[in-house]
Amino acid sequence: MKTFFKAALTAASIFGLFGGTAKAAPPASKVRIALIVESTVDDKGWCQSMHDAILSVQKKYGPNLVEYSHSEKMKPVDAGSAARQYASKGFDIIICHGAQYNNLVTEMAGVFPNTTFAYGTSANIGPKNVFTYTPYSEETGYLNGIIAGMVTKTNKIGNVGPVDGGDSARYTRGFMMGVKAANPKASVRVAFTGSFGDFVKAGELAQTQLKDGADILTGSAQQAIGALRAVAATPGQVLWVGQDTAQLNIPEGSRVIAAAGYNYAAVVETLIAKRAAGVKGGESLPLQFANGGFNFVFNAKMDPKVLTPAIRKAVEKAKEDLTSGKLKLDWKAIKL
Amino acid sequence: MNPGVMTFNVLCLAVPFSVAILLAALGENFNQRAGVFNLGCDGIMCMGAFVGFMLPYFLKAGPMAPYGNLLGLAGALGVGAALGLLFALVTVTFGASQGIAGIGLQMLGWGLSGTLFRHFVGGVTGVEGILAMPIPWLSRIPFLGGVFFNHNPMAYVAFLLVPASWFLLYKTPWGLKVRAVGTHPRAADTMGINVVRTRYQALMLGGAMAGLAGAYLSLAQAKMFSDDLVAGRGFIAVALVYFGRWSPLGILGGALLFSIAQSFQLSMQVWGIKFPYEFAVMLPYVLVIVVLALARKARQLGPTDLGKPYNREMRF
Repeated sequence: MKTFFKAALTAASIFGLFGGTAKAAPPASKVRIALIVESTVDDKGWCQSMHDAILSVQKKYGPNLVEYSHSEKMKPVDAGSAARQYASKGFDIIICHGAQYNNLVTEMAGVFPNTTFAYGTSANIGPKNVFTYTPYSEETGYLNGIIAGMVTKTNKIGNVGPVDGGDSARYTRGFMMGVKAANPKASVRVAFTGSFGDFVKAGELAQTQLKDGADILTGSAQQAIGALRAVAATPGQVLWVGQDTAQLNIPEGSRVIAAAGYNYAAVVETLIAKRAAGVKGGESLPLQFANGGFNFVFNAKMDPKVLTPAIRKAVEKAKEDLTSGKLKLDWKAIKL
Repeated sequence: MNPGVMTFNVLCLAVPFSVAILLAALGENFNQRAGVFNLGCDGIMCMGAFVGFMLPYFLKAGPMAPYGNLLGLAGALGVGAALGLLFALVTVTFGASQGIAGIGLQMLGWGLSGTLFRHFVGGVTGVEGILAMPIPWLSRIPFLGGVFFNHNPMAYVAFLLVPASWFLLYKTPWGLKVRAVGTHPRAADTMGINVVRTRYQALMLGGAMAGLAGAYLSLAQAKMFSDDLVAGRGFIAVALVYFGRWSPLGILGGALLFSIAQSFQLSMQVWGIKFPYEFAVMLPYVLVIVVLALARKARQLGPTDLGKPYNREMRF
């Protein structure tokens, strides 16, 4: 009965949050999607996760039904011309992947009222043809925090953040909550590079954390790969929990115990379905475990002495509680 | 934590942080001493980082793998010298504005390295790179051993290049020629010094060192390449030349000061000191600006003909 209740609750969440209707059905006619990113689509981080999601949707429905184009390295000042080009060419959905595009999207939405725009991280309820999306990253941070808390031997855990804002802020606080839940004696050393893309500085910050005695680190945004490189180059049992599953598939992935990933495919499919149903915007779409917005992957090659069954069990339990809504994370209550 | 240990950690980390800007600034010093300031230093570093990374990356599975890093460094020196040569052609031979040409070179290096990387490699990936090499005996000296003798070989090379640069500039005929063409090129020309050739040589040497600085970032510091790897460090290097009053020793001081500030602000966050991180990350840059502002009279010590193209046929 309890299992049935959970399943029903999950289904209701998916239906409620992502609109449910015809989400799995292929588009009735061709949908043209454009993506604008500030970094690159192979950055093993933020931008790649959205790119991969759109590609997976395209693969699912075929290029005849989903046309996809993207523009990389678009600073907010440059992105306007790219968005205008896409909209003029008749693209149906233009995703500007970053909160920095807020003003641009708002402006473009007025000029091209028949185009659906989307940007995130943001919970703003925008104009009628603008969707926003918000990863509830405190959930993935919490799971990684549980692992870090259970694995650390020095009780010093490092966090290499870009800035204290957006989903990075949520991830950091969720991570701190996870560590505290698993190991109250452990301390999380939270620090920021002030940049999303300075890989060298992220590496330097990771080195600083390691020098201070941290034996397990995490980090978010594309810069995190620089920190992971520093971890991988450090002799001994220094480990990492990641905020992007792409980190598991690189040579440095041998140090990654587990990684969370955004499943933006759910967002993309919702955008397609909503648009097909005549809703061009005016909503904010959350990403949570409950609606399939996240995935969480353990490193299959990790030493079982590190990734013990107890850790797996604790993480699975927390994930289950997050999915069912039994566990709610008040990330805003955490002050740095 | 013990304050002694905290100081030790900050200094240990500051040394490797300083290497890239030190190498680039020492190279830029040769440029400026010869009367040419090269704002394209950042772009050359990008290309140096790219070539330095690419060679070991492509050679890692072949019989040349053990030499990958060395070839990467040689490639970075070569591409840096080549870009220095290009800059010399534009600014010395064609007499183009050094500032504009430098910005152009910066954009060229940044864009070209990113484009080539995307074409030949694709996504973010790493190499084994150059590993740390503690110096036997010396690295065991309490405190100083850890701070100075427990680093990457490139760090030792960079620090040895400080006295080498000083010697080259102040104790060799070529160094005298470089300083002469930067201070009074017409007088130097009158004395039989080939101003154009000397400036070409200085720019190629400066470019090679900027390329090496870039390779340090990709091979020793990050052990990876990405478009934004250099992240403006070339501009910091240019500022350090002013900061160091065109003296290799002064540049070393500036590089260390900047890096200690960087290391300190990162450590400060890690230690959990309550201080807004937004201000903490600005600290090294603010420090450089403040010192530059306070040291404005230092300009008098610089090459008097800095930034001016030389044309023996024209009298200004």
